[in-house]
Amino acid sequence: MNPFNYNGGVCVAMKGKNCVAIASDHRLGAGRLTVSTDFPKVFEMGPALFIGLPGLTTDSLTVVNKLKFRVNLYELRENRKIRPHTFKAMVESMLYERRFGPYYVASVIAGLDPETDEPFVTAMDVLGAGEVNEPFAVAGTAEESLLGLCEALWEPDLAPEDLFETLSQVILNAVDFDCLGGAGATIHVIEKDKVTTRTIKTRMD
Amino acid sequence: MATATFFDPESSGFQFDNYARNQQLVKQGIKPPKLMKTGTTTTAVIFKGGVVLGADTRATGGNIVMNKNCSKIHYLAKNMYCLGAGTAADTEYTTRLMAGKLELLAMSMRRIVPVKSAVRMLKQMLFRYQGHVSAALIVGGVDMLGPKIVSIAPHGSSDNAPYLAMGSGSIAAMSVLETNFRPDMTAEEAVKLVRDAINAGVTNDLFSGSNIDICVITIDGAQVIRPYEQNQPEVLKKANNYTFPRGTTTVLSQGVRKVDYHIVSTEIRKTDEEPMET
Amino acid sequence: MGDFSPYDDNGGTVAAIAGQDYVLIACDSRLSTGSTILSRFTPKIYPLSKMTVFACSGFHADVLTLIKNLEVRMKLFIHEHGEEMSTKAVMALMLPTLYGRRFFPFYVRPIVAGLDRDGKGLVASYDPVGTPEFFDYVIQGSGENLVHPFLHNQIGAKRTLSDVPVQAPPGLTLDKAVKLLKDAFLAAAERDVYTGDTVTLVAMTAKGTETMEYQLRRD
Repeated sequence: MNPFNYNGGVCVAMKGKNCVAIASDHRLGAGRLTVSTDFPKVFEMGPALFIGLPGLTTDSLTVVNKLKFRVNLYELRENRKIRPHTFKAMVESMLYERRFGPYYVASVIAGLDPETDEPFVTAMDVLGAGEVNEPFAVAGTAEESLLGLCEALWEPDLAPEDLFETLSQVILNAVDFDCLGGAGATIHVIEKDKVTTRTIKTRMD
Repeated sequence: MATATFFDPESSGFQFDNYARNQQLVKQGIKPPKLMKTGTTTTAVIFKGGVVLGADTRATGGNIVMNKNCSKIHYLAKNMYCLGAGTAADTEYTTRLMAGKLELLAMSMRRIVPVKSAVRMLKQMLFRYQGHVSAALIVGGVDMLGPKIVSIAPHGSSDNAPYLAMGSGSIAAMSVLETNFRPDMTAEEAVKLVRDAINAGVTNDLFSGSNIDICVITIDGAQVIRPYEQNQPEVLKKANNYTFPRGTTTVLSQGVRKVDYHIVSTEIRKTDEEPMET
Repeated sequence: MGDFSPYDDNGGTVAAIAGQDYVLIACDSRLSTGSTILSRFTPKIYPLSKMTVFACSGFHADVLTLIKNLEVRMKLFIHEHGEEMSTKAVMALMLPTLYGRRFFPFYVRPIVAGLDRDGKGLVASYDPVGTPEFFDYVIQGSGENLVHPFLHNQIGAKRTLSDVPVQAPPGLTLDKAVKLLKDAFLAAAERDVYTGDTVTLVAMTAKGTETMEYQLRRD
């Protein structure tokens, strides 16, 4: 078995016009057993910065705690909010440091640059290899379904409301075929002045 | 190592704190997940007065394209670039690490670092990791000894030649290089040759694709052209627009949170007036 | 010969949509093995009779053999009954043909599509040992996982949890279906390395058969 298939879960992020959105499902499993149906995998790292960490949940939680610690330290030392690019470098180096004993997490980062308001989206594998030039990023058990849906449904310059609809449809239809994901989804739409968090219903079995 | 779990800015090198745990998981039948690979076609040729490096831009995970426009031409020094094939993270970090070391070396030597020094440092590092750092590199640059390209296999062996190809598309690319390479080409001819070689990899190897990036290095400096050529941008037009009507998705709950203004700078000025009496 | 395998996977994606008065079948034309392309133009749609077509991805040699077997049985049927097999009869024939090799199966992902005697579209898909599934739209092959949810979303109109995506809506005209499948194959070719080169769409109506071809990625 693959460590990603143990706890299950998916995460997807998308760029819009002056906004980004990131979503994850709510299922937490132990193999075929569903342990929780209220376990979003997206974590807040700043006012307009989120990271989704699907994978082995024990590692996701360790990684998110370590990251929050480093982000806090960074913001105290620098006396400014961390930029998504900087945060990506932080995640990357933390993951690649464990090249020969990795944390079993894939990461999806979404945020707006606090200075330029530029949308930022990236996905990384367990070793921290990721690029920043794609309009959407996916990770998790339904990776292929998410990628196909994003490729077909994504349109450039979506307004925040339209971005929400597209991303919701993407995650709803992707987890519909994924028995290790689902049980509802949370979608954060990040704009420069506000973050709108919505939950939607998806397959519950 | 007890300190490994704490943030220690002084610590460097790889961490092995998860290694035993992961080995234990393997025993329980939980295998490591798939990694992002650059199947890749990379080529380099020497021409009269410089070198041309070229690469495709596809990154794959299994049979899925994970990235359509990733950069495989990595910066090493002002006079030197490196092409990377293999595990995406390894090529990226090996070259980034080396770029840092070369910068420090250039500062302490107070001159341009020769290509062969970079090659020696890279191959010694890769050899030390016995092929576990799976980076297949081509280093190309111009120094006081002239233009030079060297390929380095993941185990640390290296190859000197006037034209080189690496990655899963190297067989296709090499067929073009073998037919059309001539010594002492002009820069334009060399760019054309590299473009044709990468294109052979892009079209014939399934794990290479998308765009062609090219880097030309002469004694006057390096120029990265990204993208040099895009692959069939005209076929990507969709027949429909898939924007959904607003309200399509049923929302269970909604919360809005204000994001505070990001204060870029604060200035406090003292006025000359007397403080008011209170 | 220790590591010899009798099977290979030549990749490729096939799809079909059944409408009220048409059936639309689509495939890409790439044939590949490992990391190399064997052929850029080998469409995976094969006509079986005037009313029925067969579309199949998987191991190409098995696909060709399976079609030979089907053709023999269909010819015997004509000699015995004096008429062509109906689409429904071909769909039923698939099961014994595939299950007959239960313990050395054909490595194939077949779709049988066609019109019934009233001109209504019919689609059936099978797993390698013959389990049939009758949906109004189906996709099989290497791009299956990428595009399957897209078809459910767009054709099955799966927009909320309570939507049950099985039937193609009556409002889905042939023209709309062509556009949807074309976009589905564009997306599959973008992300699946084994799908590409061209997409062939075969539209069957009571009036006749029309074949369309569009360019896909060649890299």
